[in-house]
Amino acid sequence: MTVALVLLTLLVGAWLLAVIEAWLTTGRLRPVAPLLAGLSHLGRESILARKPDRLFFETAPVLLLVVAVLGAAVLPLAPDLVIADLATGALFLNAVLAYVLVSLIMAGWGPNGAYAMVGGWRFLGQLIAYSMLIVMPITATAMRAESLLNSAIVESQAGLWNIVYQPLGFVLFFIAAIALAFRSPFDLPTAPGELAGGVDAEYTGVRLAVLRLARLVMVITLSAATTVFFLGGWQGPLLPPWAWSLIKTLAVAVSMLLVGFYLPRIREADLLGWCWKLGIPLALLNILIVGLLILVVP
Amino acid sequence: MSEAATTLAGARKGRPSILRRWVGQALARNLSCLVVPGPEVALAHGLDLAAADMRIAATPRDATVLLIVGELSQKLDEATAVLYAQMPRPRAILVLGGSAPSSLPQADVSADLSQTELMEAATRLQRLLAEDAFAASPDDFDSSILQAKTEYVCPMHPEVVEDEPGSCPKCGMDLVAREAGGDSDAGEHDHDHDHEHHGHEHDHDHEHESEEHDHHHAHHNDHGQSHEHHHDHEHHQNHKRAHDHEQHQGDDDHEHAHCHEHEDHGHQQSTAQEQSGTEYICPMHPEIRQNEPGSCPKCGMDLEPHKPEEDEGVREGVPEHDHEHHHDHSGHDHDGHDHSDHDHDSSGFMSMVEVTKDLPRSADGLAMDWLEVPFGPCFPGLPGGLKLTLTLDGDGVTEGQATSLVAMNTSSEEVAVETFIERLAAAMPLAPVSYRLLACRAIEQAAGLEPDPAVERGRAAALERERIASHLGWLAQLGRQLSFVWLTRRAAALQLETQRADREQLVALRPALQSLIARLEHTPLLKARLKGIGALPHGSQDLRGPVARASGRTEDARQADAMYRELGFEMRAESAGDAWARLRQRHVEIMTSLDLVEVAGDPELPKLRAIDNPSGTGEATVETPRGRATLRLTQERGQVVSVELDSACSQHIGLVADLVEGQELGDALVAVGSLDLSPWEVTS
Repeated sequence: MTVALVLLTLLVGAWLLAVIEAWLTTGRLRPVAPLLAGLSHLGRESILARKPDRLFFETAPVLLLVVAVLGAAVLPLAPDLVIADLATGALFLNAVLAYVLVSLIMAGWGPNGAYAMVGGWRFLGQLIAYSMLIVMPITATAMRAESLLNSAIVESQAGLWNIVYQPLGFVLFFIAAIALAFRSPFDLPTAPGELAGGVDAEYTGVRLAVLRLARLVMVITLSAATTVFFLGGWQGPLLPPWAWSLIKTLAVAVSMLLVGFYLPRIREADLLGWCWKLGIPLALLNILIVGLLILVVP
Repeated sequence: MSEAATTLAGARKGRPSILRRWVGQALARNLSCLVVPGPEVALAHGLDLAAADMRIAATPRDATVLLIVGELSQKLDEATAVLYAQMPRPRAILVLGGSAPSSLPQADVSADLSQTELMEAATRLQRLLAEDAFAASPDDFDSSILQAKTEYVCPMHPEVVEDEPGSCPKCGMDLVAREAGGDSDAGEHDHDHDHEHHGHEHDHDHEHESEEHDHHHAHHNDHGQSHEHHHDHEHHQNHKRAHDHEQHQGDDDHEHAHCHEHEDHGHQQSTAQEQSGTEYICPMHPEIRQNEPGSCPKCGMDLEPHKPEEDEGVREGVPEHDHEHHHDHSGHDHDGHDHSDHDHDSSGFMSMVEVTKDLPRSADGLAMDWLEVPFGPCFPGLPGGLKLTLTLDGDGVTEGQATSLVAMNTSSEEVAVETFIERLAAAMPLAPVSYRLLACRAIEQAAGLEPDPAVERGRAAALERERIASHLGWLAQLGRQLSFVWLTRRAAALQLETQRADREQLVALRPALQSLIARLEHTPLLKARLKGIGALPHGSQDLRGPVARASGRTEDARQADAMYRELGFEMRAESAGDAWARLRQRHVEIMTSLDLVEVAGDPELPKLRAIDNPSGTGEATVETPRGRATLRLTQERGQVVSVELDSACSQHIGLVADLVEGQELGDALVAVGSLDLSPWEVTS
């Protein structure tokens, strides 16, 4: 039951996100558009590139989807609405997200095309940039909760949400999450204007449908994670807990889309430079501040 | 008039069923188009695809509709066939304002170039897709373009490449056949490529290869005989259509035809090579050079013969189609190379050490595959019709060059002056008004007419309006290149509004244009993305238009124009010479042009004034949106007999090689994009 509810939430979230994305790019609000797009992908030929690495090519989209769903599995949408509230939930999320890289390298290598391959390896550079900025802000939230249990992290924000308690951590995590989901302005591996789709370039038909779905679900998962770690999770007045989770998650997801809508793609060298020279010192500072606050404020 | 076929040529195989009907309807309501030559051309023609419920696809893989805008050149026609082959079925062809390319099946829907026709055509296309997306026995698409083509080269002069068999104009030797589109550049580099792309494939083709070696011997021992072998070979090729096999043949053949120094048989050529002062260098250590064959003291590899003067000569002979044809076979040319022919051997195991051991080291010391990857002619981040060939070393560009597949051919036959004006304007879809004006002025000047201030005023306004629209089109293209969706939407919408606006409407657009510009100059990341990219020093030669002015050069044909002085034109120039300066320069020019239109009055499309004396020679210069263009023509009895066009893009396209070298891929593409090349305005 819980599993079904969580999966349903992910699908509904992905659908809403696709509707909003299409609205931003075309200026038309068409709720059926994502369903039609999905259906038309299913009806198209699923072309296999010449001399592909079949295993990598076939596995990559599915792996990305699995990663996104596994990540969502440890995020509580309500006090009792979580597939697995692991004692190491926050850590598990980090571990799962590492497989995004694996999936993209496979998607880059598999189809045996230059654009895809450059895109895949670009993401390796991107991982080096964002990964510490995913881990370190989560660490600071776990410090405050004194637990890696995701539901405990939500409960620790009962008085004050982490977005206020550690705003620096929120900003860093939010940016890193967009980079992890490789959405614009961090869409270096797909880069339509530079690599004509990059890792997506060779996928058609059903495989493309899975890949697109996986990318949307990934955004929802990361938005849910942002909600859990920084926005007080399910907490809020009047509405039932699941509704709060849903609202906050969608709000975060939409703001991720909006950031991409209004910004040009970043240069890869700038991304690495800023993440390491600015982001990581700030993340350390965040941990230091949170540490001091924990010691000073009872 | 819009015409529609009754069945869909690109239907997918499958018996019609309820589910498939749904899919067809979904496809029909979700039209994604691959625009050929490019979305910017559609915009320049005033087509609003979003209004017709069509989405622009970034890749052929994601497209249902191949939307062809206007007439295509022969080369673009061929490239389009490849793109079409890459689109998954069900797929449809929509041709607007042109004839269907000869290499493609009949267009499913064709219509004129206008928004109303587009809307109507989109509806027809939707009906067609909804009903006929699946067919029990769809037609195969097997264009001759997708087959290997044979071209003829001289075994001694690789720069001699002909389409027909014959003899070499330099040495009189009979030309030998090879597959067009093989690796055609020479030098050490070529060797690397051969390794990458074909080296290991030979395993599958052993018998064949040994046969080829015989050919090789033959043609070194006895040149007279060798071509016969090759002719046989060619015969062979034309009959056999097994793609892979054929491709290998072609490549092998080509390598040998070129006398390329494949390490196994480099020594066979020693006599010929020594006579022409060949050096032997290590493929891994370029500093090891000696005059005779041997092995490298550092790594023990056999040295490669290398003829220093060969590089340039051969590169000139590079055929236009180059790598595309590799992909024609596989049907996914769009994506550049098969990068890993070497990695999928029978065991399925790939070793990076093995794969990279013979490769050249990059500037950073890493050994990587150097891939020669085509970008274009229909690449989402570049102007349509422009083909950029970049040699990629990872994400870095080691070298690149740009060619235009739609270059204008000015050596045309005699045409009536009116026809000439229409033709020239139609040949430049990104700046038709400027070239119409240029032609009118040159013809009037040839006829000895003095400029008429009243007419010139309306013309200047039309030219400035086109400049605003063109710069907005460039901004939309920048947005596409950088996935900056807001910019693409906003700039494209403003461009469509500007194109046919009169003075009042243009003045009313001022706040919108101002806010677009102000917003762009304060967009986070944009400055970081463009600053310092594609810098052209102040002293660079051959710069014109906004590109020149962004480097601080006071180069503007409008300064010499009496009409512009009267309108109060004042040139303003940036100085940094990089992509950011070019963006700001275009911003400044949008506002300057708006001021000029405001003073000049309603734009009037240039029309040829009445001419009394239809003979003579005339020359005119117009500052087009991309820079100064000069047209010199001679007319006799109302016929244009000779034409000479000197345009900004012809100069700028030559800058590409220097701009991209050593840059990161993203920066290289931004640098090329910032030049605002219009491949149509390149004269061949």
